[in-house]
Amino acid sequence: MKKKTMNKIVAPALALGLLVPINAQAADHAPTASTPAGDLRATLDQLLSEHYVLAVTSMMKAYDGAPDAEVAMKALDQNALDMTPAIASIYGDEGAAQFEDIFAGHNDYSADFVEAAKSDDKELRAEAEAEVDEFVEEFSTFLDAATEGNLPKDAAADVLELHEDQVLSVFDNYVAGDYESAYMTYREGYKLMFDISKALSGAIVTQMPDKFDTPADTPAVELRSTLNSLAGEHFALAAIGMQKGYDKAEDFDYVSWAEDQNTLDFKAAIASVYGDEGAAQFEKVWNGNHITAQGDIVAATLEGDEAKIEEARMKLDQFAVDFSTFLDAATEGNLPQAAGQEAIMQHEALVLQTFDQYVAGDADAAWMSFREGYAFMFGVGETLGNAIVTQMPDKFAETTMPEEMPETGLGGAQTQSMNTLYAGLAVLGGILLAFVTLRNRKESVQ
Amino acid sequence: MNKRHLFLALSLFCFGFWTWTSAQESSSPPVEEKQIEESPDLTAEFSLLQEEVKKLRLAEEEESAKAATPVRIQIPSIAVDTAIEQVGVLDNGQMGVPTDEDQVGWFEPGVKPGSKGNAVVAGHVDSKTGPAVFYELDQLKAGDDVAIIDENGNTLTFRVTKTESYDTSNAPIEEIFGATSHRNLNLITCSGTFGDGGYDQRFVVYTELVDSEMNTEVELDAPTNVTLSGNLLTWHAVRDDAVIGYRVYEVIAGDATRIESVPSHARKSVEVTNEQATYYVTAIDRLGNESSPSETTK
Repeated sequence: MKKKTMNKIVAPALALGLLVPINAQAADHAPTASTPAGDLRATLDQLLSEHYVLAVTSMMKAYDGAPDAEVAMKALDQNALDMTPAIASIYGDEGAAQFEDIFAGHNDYSADFVEAAKSDDKELRAEAEAEVDEFVEEFSTFLDAATEGNLPKDAAADVLELHEDQVLSVFDNYVAGDYESAYMTYREGYKLMFDISKALSGAIVTQMPDKFDTPADTPAVELRSTLNSLAGEHFALAAIGMQKGYDKAEDFDYVSWAEDQNTLDFKAAIASVYGDEGAAQFEKVWNGNHITAQGDIVAATLEGDEAKIEEARMKLDQFAVDFSTFLDAATEGNLPQAAGQEAIMQHEALVLQTFDQYVAGDADAAWMSFREGYAFMFGVGETLGNAIVTQMPDKFAETTMPEEMPETGLGGAQTQSMNTLYAGLAVLGGILLAFVTLRNRKESVQ
Repeated sequence: MNKRHLFLALSLFCFGFWTWTSAQESSSPPVEEKQIEESPDLTAEFSLLQEEVKKLRLAEEEESAKAATPVRIQIPSIAVDTAIEQVGVLDNGQMGVPTDEDQVGWFEPGVKPGSKGNAVVAGHVDSKTGPAVFYELDQLKAGDDVAIIDENGNTLTFRVTKTESYDTSNAPIEEIFGATSHRNLNLITCSGTFGDGGYDQRFVVYTELVDSEMNTEVELDAPTNVTLSGNLLTWHAVRDDAVIGYRVYEVIAGDATRIESVPSHARKSVEVTNEQATYYVTAIDRLGNESSPSETTK
């Protein structure tokens, strides 16, 4: 059962990758986002950021006593279990089992925080905080040991502590009704998960050079991760925002605000590749029949206005055409229109499916769709990222760099002036040159 | 719909003493009181949800409950001091008239004097035999006072803002009877020349409530964080339960036009098209109060 769920979720991400022919990527030495290290980082990007989204969302739902709170918590647990095979592929079953023990357990504390807030139980809160500290200690020790010091314990502990603080801060602000702070922190906390993923995948790649022949932070892989982050956040905010809108939740407008901020970040990412004009075009297409159409569907559903829902759905279809056309033109055909359109339509279908199931009161199906829709976005970074990288190989060229500076001195000149050092080097060079010349002559004589 | 009927009501009320014989009139459906009591403006403008409509009705009822039934009218400058009757709509669609030509009829299906909206009273200018209660109504001028005494013995003072004479067929029904956020009392009588069809003009005195705890305006916060990015105009909601929606205005060369009304349950964003224009947003509450404009974009 567990396995089946996993397959179902991973499949769409792969499908998106397959939609686009890998043409130029095959060329030797051409930069690409599809490296073993890039894949590792993308997997960790997805699982860690999903962990965050589900943790924060399920805590809010539990606090509200929402009917789907328990199912959202289950989705969070399932996300933790999905990490095990990823860890096992690197550190073997034993390491994975150890990981699961530490990691899956820490989700339990979130229920205590919710309970403490509901009943204003300061003791329970303090207990839960102590448990979090314990988790940070245990997990950072594990990471240090597993990566053989490539992710040092202190660094790991710092970032884990920050993550836990952010989750709690979102929750506390939510409880206090300070939604603006809640969603500002929500966005920061979301981004931090990608930093954690970068640090962890970087440590693993350094630890296992045989398995990973290129770094986890090449420009192409960075682009892939950035696009994954933006696409994943867009899906999460769209899906959760639609639920909040349907529930007429007090924080609905703040989710919309966060969604619009995500759009601006997306725009900035596009601007860094295609300039301001391209970014302005992106924004128009992105908002027009897309963000506002999703909003229309929520309002029309509340109003029971079938015609308006249908109209909004048609707008989303139009968005798939317009946005894929934009991407085709921007990438100069490296992301072909038809493939883009199909992928975008699949994404929109998953957003609407999640919403419809939620409206129908089928929490299990809705959260299954949410996870599927979230995972789907992590194919975007690879597909769109590679299209851009292929289009602009120079921009994403991987310059081979040594890990350390060369040993260009033997210490003998320490006490002498710089001039003598250079003179010495010149002499050394001269000798070398003479030596090489002599050797060559010798060879040619033979 | 009710606009037409109000027109008929206005054109007919002076004929109370004469026989109306038009065949078309008898076929008119009676005016439903409900249509007049509601604020059709708000429910149509914002696609309000059922529960919002309910709250809106409740707010309106609460609001009108603040005002009590008027029982007496006093207009010192023309020496009027008389009882108020209630008039409604007759079976044939006519607005009723006071049975006593020395009394004044308050249009009971409408709002009470002192409530938000246009309360209307009518009185005869004359009877078959001579002058009636509003014979000197045309002597009123801006600044004169009209007092209404309600069933609880409270006195509400209204002040004349303007007076107008209209051809019977061209009276601005909406202005006299329609919804408004002000607390108005409008007085009507006949004027002009008396002929076969009765008087050919109507004289209307517009007054507004002064000096009462009722007309303290509700302070409604304007929307904040109004930003335009690309073609998407967004703003933050006004967190006040009374807010039912927002009006979005487009400003071109100093002229503001309302381009969209967004209910509070919808996403606070609107796609705009004119790149030369600037935009601002206002909040609207259940009673139709409109906040001051937000900051203008750009």
